[in-house]
Amino acid sequence: MIILETIGIKKCFGGVVAVSNGNLKCQKGKITGLLGANGSGKSTSSKIISGVYSADAGEIIFNGKSVKYKNPNEARKAGIAMVFQNLSLVGDLTVWQNIVLGVEDKKGLFLNNEISKEKSKAIVDQLLPGLDINKKVYELNSGEMQIVEIAKAILEEPKLLILDEPTAALELAQVKSLFSYMRILAKKGVAMIFTSHRLWEVMEICDDVIIFRNGENVASIDFNKDGKDPKKIVSYITGEAQKLKVEKNHNEITEETILSIKSLNYGKFLKDVTFKLKKGEILGIGGLTGQGQLELMLALAGNYPDVRCDAEINGKKIKLNKLANAISNGILLVPGDKQREGLFLNHSVFTNIIFPKLGLKHQPLFIPYKKYRKECEQVVDALSIKTSSMDTPVSSLSGGNQQKVVVGKWLSFDTNVLLLADPAKGVDVGAKIELYQHIINQVKEKKMSVILYASDNEELIEYCDRLMIMYEGKIVATLEGDDINDDTIIATSMRIR
Amino acid sequence: MNKSSKAVSDSAFNKFIYKPEFSTLIILIIMLIITAILQKNFFEAKSIVRNINAFTPLILLTMGQAVVIISGGLDLSAGTTLSLLTCVLTFVMEKGEPVTGVYAIIIAFAVAVLVGVINGIGIGYLRVPPLIATFATSFIWLGAALFLRPTPGGESVEWFKMFYNIDGVKNAPHFLKTFGTIVPPGLILVILGCVFWFVISKTKTGRYIYAVGSNNDSAYVSGINTAKIQMTACIINSLFVFLAALFFVGQNQSGDARMGGPLILKAIAATVVGGIALTGGKGSVYFALVGALILSFVSKIIFFSNVPNAYQTLVSGLIVIIAIAGTQVYAPYNKRAMINERQII
Repeated sequence: MIILETIGIKKCFGGVVAVSNGNLKCQKGKITGLLGANGSGKSTSSKIISGVYSADAGEIIFNGKSVKYKNPNEARKAGIAMVFQNLSLVGDLTVWQNIVLGVEDKKGLFLNNEISKEKSKAIVDQLLPGLDINKKVYELNSGEMQIVEIAKAILEEPKLLILDEPTAALELAQVKSLFSYMRILAKKGVAMIFTSHRLWEVMEICDDVIIFRNGENVASIDFNKDGKDPKKIVSYITGEAQKLKVEKNHNEITEETILSIKSLNYGKFLKDVTFKLKKGEILGIGGLTGQGQLELMLALAGNYPDVRCDAEINGKKIKLNKLANAISNGILLVPGDKQREGLFLNHSVFTNIIFPKLGLKHQPLFIPYKKYRKECEQVVDALSIKTSSMDTPVSSLSGGNQQKVVVGKWLSFDTNVLLLADPAKGVDVGAKIELYQHIINQVKEKKMSVILYASDNEELIEYCDRLMIMYEGKIVATLEGDDINDDTIIATSMRIR
Repeated sequence: MNKSSKAVSDSAFNKFIYKPEFSTLIILIIMLIITAILQKNFFEAKSIVRNINAFTPLILLTMGQAVVIISGGLDLSAGTTLSLLTCVLTFVMEKGEPVTGVYAIIIAFAVAVLVGVINGIGIGYLRVPPLIATFATSFIWLGAALFLRPTPGGESVEWFKMFYNIDGVKNAPHFLKTFGTIVPPGLILVILGCVFWFVISKTKTGRYIYAVGSNNDSAYVSGINTAKIQMTACIINSLFVFLAALFFVGQNQSGDARMGGPLILKAIAATVVGGIALTGGKGSVYFALVGALILSFVSKIIFFSNVPNAYQTLVSGLIVIIAIAGTQVYAPYNKRAMINERQII
């Protein structure tokens, strides 16, 4: 039974067409996957259905009636709930206050907190037992926040649940428990729309997929009828037959040690971390999420003033307690949360790329624009950043290209070690491969070393020469060569061996 | 006490210590001690009443301001709103006719609500940055006040004194007079304000004020009418200002278009001292009261410590900055302690 159908939805932002022809169908009790590159219009379509945006043209038929929701509240009341990608949580309220936000229980004029707490607890216990509902949301990690977000959406028992990249922040065990809960909901007859950049998740949980490209849906595949073929899906997403691998290059690793870290300690996050990085090497950091990998990256980049360690770069002793130290020694960080930590979103590509230079010592009094523009052009070329001009604001670029800008900031520096902290987070399949290809080309060309942390094991397997597995702030294993495979990584991460 | 319950109470105590409220309380205690040392008769009933009366307008303004700031706004016009309301009250009242006092209260109340609505439309619906919106409206209120009362003055009904000193009202019932000497009217107004906020904070509106101030977009997609909530916060603020206006007219029996203006920045500073984040969503309205007390004690200390007249303003500025820095310097330490408590990603 079809519960939702959209016909020819169109939406423009300013002059930019986000969705030009959105057609999709959802069935009762079925999970529909929504796939597409960043900026292909799948997020916008979901937001139109859930009433965040109103469509410029087209029709939405929900439960047999043509509907038009003015705001998310109307849609929520009608039975359409959405789990947002950019979280819709309020940091200063507690978990249970967030879950019931907008639909609080009342006793006369006043709030009935007891009932609200009970309801929230019942849902949270199913999704993530052990989460304290009295915690403030800003105290949670991103996985827990996502769970709260989902709990909020299913509180009102919707008929249609839209999950916009709910798994991006979750670790494997949480994803599995979310999937089992989604199956329970499907059995109850809830229709679901599920988006994710991880193909295997879509393959596992969805009954059919709809693929978006450039604001249109280009294909819908019913897994039961048409079978599951990942290559076909990827080719629909990118619009071209996709080469899925980048060549690994082992030859260029020299025996020369570029960075040596001895007994690095930071609070309870990092304990006695010791390793050596060779010139030209890509060293991976893996393990379960939140085992100190990000803290290690930040510590190396000089973010923590009270970190203790003996560090040597090219045989020279350095201190890691200041950002400026790290930068002047060529240890440069590409943060994963690019929008918050890596970019000035409202500013142009040019401004973003030259910005780190402005802080260097011995700068001319006035900014040498001509020289910088030339350099910036080179960077844009080298990474093939797709932008209409250097003066386009970064916010209008797609996720993959935004991340390239973050990498581009450092390209004109003397880089010894490039720290990549989950660079492909929230970047779609096609752009991810391209991004890595460009980074690796630069690594070869400039003979730098890379420390790569990725939450997705696939990326680590693909690109790393060596892989350190972290557990509770310690390095518990270093894998090399053929040992870098999925089974070994999972086994060592969970300390099965 | 067994081991586990001790651990629980320990962590509850620690949690309190790490809250910014804790530093605010410590500063209050320090200020209190200094004032008590300087002012010889600090603990005498008369001087306590006098102190409460001196502090009341700032406390009320600060609490109202706190509500707006928590909702993510800022109200620069509260000072001139206060002036306007005193002018409205004294404009309507005629000395000989006690009933005009009732009219005045009703009309001033309506004006207060109207002021809140207009500020709210600017901030919430038109999305003008609060600083600019209320800076602009502050001149409207000032202009209106000057129109009603170009020079300080006007008249007030006799029973209006009860908002300041019940004893001063000639034919007040005896039990009211006794009551008034035990609990000064200023204190009653402050308690009234607290109760008012307590009731609001138990309703959806109270919860939503925090939600909207903390993250406007998130609140919106949760189905909250954010513009309406911001307007409500402005109206609540206006009602606090209304209470302050009653007190002021009770005290002076006259209106003054210029009296409120200087108070407003002091009130905003007091909310910050009280641990309320100017970014919104954080803090407690009751601690705004503590912030106002701290700033009030600063003036007391200056007054009693025989600082030469010429330096008084300068010194009070220094003390205020030290007080604010005291609460803020504490924050990083407290953050570090929090980090050790939880895992960050």
